[in-house]
Amino acid sequence: MSVLSLAASSSSSLLSFSSTCSSSPKPPFSSSAKPALKTPFVGFSVAPPQKLWFPSTTDLSFNNEGNTRRSFEIFSSKTEDFVRVPLDQRWMYEDYEVDGPDIWNNTWYPKAADHVNTDKPWFIVDATDKILGRMASTIAIYIRGKILATYTPSVDMGAFVIVVNAEKVAVSGKKRNQKLYRRHSGRPGGMTVETFDQLQQRIPERIIEHAVRGMLPKGRLGRALFNHLKVYKGPDHPLEAQMPVELPIRDKRIQIQK
Amino acid sequence: MNKGKIFKLAKGFRGRAKNCIRIARERVEKALQYSYRDRRTKKRDMRSLWIQRINAGTRIHGVNYGNFMHGLMKENIQLNRKVLSELSMHEPHSFKSLVDISRSAFPGNKNVVPAPQKKGLQILV
Repeated sequence: MSVLSLAASSSSSLLSFSSTCSSSPKPPFSSSAKPALKTPFVGFSVAPPQKLWFPSTTDLSFNNEGNTRRSFEIFSSKTEDFVRVPLDQRWMYEDYEVDGPDIWNNTWYPKAADHVNTDKPWFIVDATDKILGRMASTIAIYIRGKILATYTPSVDMGAFVIVVNAEKVAVSGKKRNQKLYRRHSGRPGGMTVETFDQLQQRIPERIIEHAVRGMLPKGRLGRALFNHLKVYKGPDHPLEAQMPVELPIRDKRIQIQK
Repeated sequence: MNKGKIFKLAKGFRGRAKNCIRIARERVEKALQYSYRDRRTKKRDMRSLWIQRINAGTRIHGVNYGNFMHGLMKENIQLNRKVLSELSMHEPHSFKSLVDISRSAFPGNKNVVPAPQKKGLQILV
């Protein structure tokens, strides 16, 4: 593209210069008789000699008809046009490489436009009678983006997930009374322990959030991913405008066996 | 002198490591050690990324990475993982045809013995 524009400007400049050569401060070339200075282009009014020997401007002047040995043409399939390339840069180009960066020999990395939050899909899960850990694992996989062929670990490419009926999530065995949730305030003697049952009475969303947060990566990106999880207590949620789709769960043992 | 080279390599470092020679020297040495090590681990990490991307791409079509590669090896398709991952991202239809070739060559582990179910106390009753 740049070579073409350079060609257009150089040929126009040569044309304009040749028409106004009489007003140039250099020794005037007469267009009819043999010129005082020896130039290779006999009989034509030309630019000052030092401009002649830039390969890119020489070939594309109106003096040269057709292909000379100074440059060669490549057909660019993208622009459907011939692109002129100087001979000394010939080694850089193959026929198919004129039209853009190489996407096949370099591993793809997403640009900013590839992971805009507004284009990400939204999923919804009903937590009623689902085993806590199995459901949290599937949710974390979708939030992280591991199901996408364009998965990149350093970039937030996953989807948003909404969980409803959080208070009805189930656990197997005796975990309902025996699983402990601990937190520490940082001060001595500041550890609080409560069971699954007690936490479910108090703040049921925290159970699912705790489970999914433990399955997401820890770090800046992990904390940003955690914000893509939305947990709600009852069956309704305020995100109808996002039109969430049912989350496809492939785990066969996720429903609790009563 | 050597200090100039050290500071040139310490551009973008945090805090005093970019300004003060004693700290910068240590951090630059460490940075060069890390870059030596990581030129080798980069090859491993890239291959692991390609494998994760191929895995995701094949699971869309219901085949996992292991069975897919086994099928390709059986058909003697010698495409490497870099190219396969780029195909799975940019050429989904060609990739689907590859998955179909692999599935016809190796349909998967059909005769898997199911994991033993927990019977519980009901066997005693």
